Amino acid sequence: MNLKKTLAFALSLSMAVSMAGCGGTGSAPSTAPSTAPDSQPSAPAVSDSGGGATGEQVTIKWWAFPTFGVDSGYEEEVIAAFEKANPDVKVELTTIDFTSGPEQLTSAITAGTAPDILFDAPGRIIEYGNAGNLVALDDMFDSAYLADVTNQGVLEACKGAGGTYYMYPISSSPFYMGLNKEALVSSGAIEFVNLEGDRTWTTEDFQNMCAKLAENGATAVPGIVYCGGQGGDQGTRALVNNLYSSTIVGSDGKWNIDANGVKALQLLADMYSKGHLDAGFSMAAADELQQFQQETAAMTFCWGTSNEVSYATEDFTQEAVPFPSDDGVPELEYLVNGFCVFDNKDAARADAAKRFLKFICDDSEWGPQSVIKTNAFPVRDSFGDLYPGDEHKALLASWTQYYGPYYNTKDGFATMRPLWFNMLQNVFNGNDVQAEADNFNTQANA
Amino acid sequence: MAKGSKRSLVLQRRETGVSYLFLLPALIFFLGFVIYPMLMGIITSFTDASFANQSNGKFIAFDNYIRLFNDPVFKKSAVNTVIIVVAAVPTVTAFSLWVGSAIYKMKAWTRSFFRCVFYLPVVTGSVAVVVVWKWMFDKYNGLFNYVIKAFGGKPLPWTESATMAIWCIIIILFTTSIGQPIVLYVAALGNVDNSLVEAAQVDGATNLQTFWKIKWPSIMPTTLYVVIITTINSFQCFALIQLLTRGGPLYSTSTVMYLLYETAFITSKDFGYADAMGVVLAIVIAIFSAIQFKVMNGGTTE
Repeated sequence: MNLKKTLAFALSLSMAVSMAGCGGTGSAPSTAPSTAPDSQPSAPAVSDSGGGATGEQVTIKWWAFPTFGVDSGYEEEVIAAFEKANPDVKVELTTIDFTSGPEQLTSAITAGTAPDILFDAPGRIIEYGNAGNLVALDDMFDSAYLADVTNQGVLEACKGAGGTYYMYPISSSPFYMGLNKEALVSSGAIEFVNLEGDRTWTTEDFQNMCAKLAENGATAVPGIVYCGGQGGDQGTRALVNNLYSSTIVGSDGKWNIDANGVKALQLLADMYSKGHLDAGFSMAAADELQQFQQETAAMTFCWGTSNEVSYATEDFTQEAVPFPSDDGVPELEYLVNGFCVFDNKDAARADAAKRFLKFICDDSEWGPQSVIKTNAFPVRDSFGDLYPGDEHKALLASWTQYYGPYYNTKDGFATMRPLWFNMLQNVFNGNDVQAEADNFNTQANA
Repeated sequence: MAKGSKRSLVLQRRETGVSYLFLLPALIFFLGFVIYPMLMGIITSFTDASFANQSNGKFIAFDNYIRLFNDPVFKKSAVNTVIIVVAAVPTVTAFSLWVGSAIYKMKAWTRSFFRCVFYLPVVTGSVAVVVVWKWMFDKYNGLFNYVIKAFGGKPLPWTESATMAIWCIIIILFTTSIGQPIVLYVAALGNVDNSLVEAAQVDGATNLQTFWKIKWPSIMPTTLYVVIITTINSFQCFALIQLLTRGGPLYSTSTVMYLLYETAFITSKDFGYADAMGVVLAIVIAIFSAIQFKVMNGGTTE
């Protein structure tokens, strides 16, 4: 009986230990094949396995976030066209979403089963590149290409440590605010919003608009400053940074909420206490966008070309405006869509992956189509105006002049993000704003 | 006789060999997917391995463990975990026993109906369950606030409140945890020797006495199983936190399991530190399980 009890207890114990450890063991890096070479990986020059060079078919894996739209079928179309033109390459597609995709990627990379190609944004891609998981794409940025991409900010966003290019960009678009026009009209708040010209407006206008919306209750709340997670957190940073023209990165290159940032946070805390804005303590951008779509909130701080499609509705008119600022000159955050190639220690696959990227991004027929499918603007000037006659797109294109510094590839970005939304939670909880900003600055630069 | 004994020994060895063969697939699975990751998790917890230095994690002895006990977020998460366990385990066990006691004597179809009703949240996908609860707790358009407003009350912030959010988690955990214990209790109570119950009743025992003196000892092994499984599930409560609150507001719903995931996959991607959390959690679960074995085995009938 004692033996039985001991065995039963041992079994129970091992189950408990293994279940508790499962979250971490899946990521045990020492068990995974090394994908981090000591030196920067370089572009493959010669195929060392079967593939294009030997006439054998190479299979490459493409993981795609829904940047071309959810179930749009475009990925399959472009793969079919590429495979027809390149019969020596077979592309296997896996679509991932923004909720579980990042976790899947981390697991795959640490387990040595990363895809060959990923369609994403610079934040994650540069992190992967700096960790030694990607193939350098310097050879794709030849002089002709560099001459065609005149936005230096976009090019800088594609570089990792040491100036190595890890992302091949295809399109770009700004992040801005979305407003419910009918709610503004019915509450009388429309008088504070500039819907003419490039639609720039001031912090004072923003305060008045929110107060009017709260007073007349056209929607349950005027707006929600979401701070329950890091999804779409660039929206709340853009709001804070614009209100009094502050920046999240100081002149010394460190993460920094400066005096103007503190002033902006204090303003938002005051508006929250007056009921002129609400705080979403357990909401990320997706939750706030849903509340905007459902007319619970009259504005969203996470509007962009992609979300305009995902959260479209015919129930009200969605107006795009830049973030308000004290001087009426906004500094907008922006999205860069692009591809990276994982270093799977197979030159033939890396070579095929690069050919596929060139096809998607630069082919005279498929390149412009790909840009249009992202609902954004081409990074290559030679593509010209892909949305002729579209006034809305022309308005958004005019905001590229307000692009601010791109900080998503800066060291410590991943560490800074959870500190940011937790700092916001503390500010809305009534904690001292200066103390919270100081705490953020200390921890983000630790 | 000696020949027969030898043949019996050969047969026994052959049978033992065959049984090991049958065990082999499960054993390989257990070693590969339970024991090996468990050992690697323990080893990694003594290194500074992270996403940024996947191949260069160096041995740092107990640094991750020392860091854990100086980390206010970990301490907060540990307290939240204990609150969830302490609140969920007794209520789940007591409620399941109560429902089981109430329905096990019912007609077969009535018993099946109740078992089905209470088991439904178990077989429903956890994501679907949490999405429905999320809508009900929504502070703007949720069902609960709709009812409160209909009766002239002030809407509550539910998951948006640092004081209420953890109770929302416990409520959902409760509803999704009671199904299996109820089914087990119905089966266990149905197996209690009825002649003992009838004899006690003839001797003038009250219903309460019959329960405590006869039924309770008989169902103690089931209770032990229910308590241990519910404890482990509560300690490892993760999916509903990730889907409902992401550990907020102000870390009020962050548990060790959620913090482990967040550390490994979302924020710092610090694998060594996350594994140290996993090891500590495993040790705590093991201690809790051992105490439960010790305490509850005292009442087990053999």
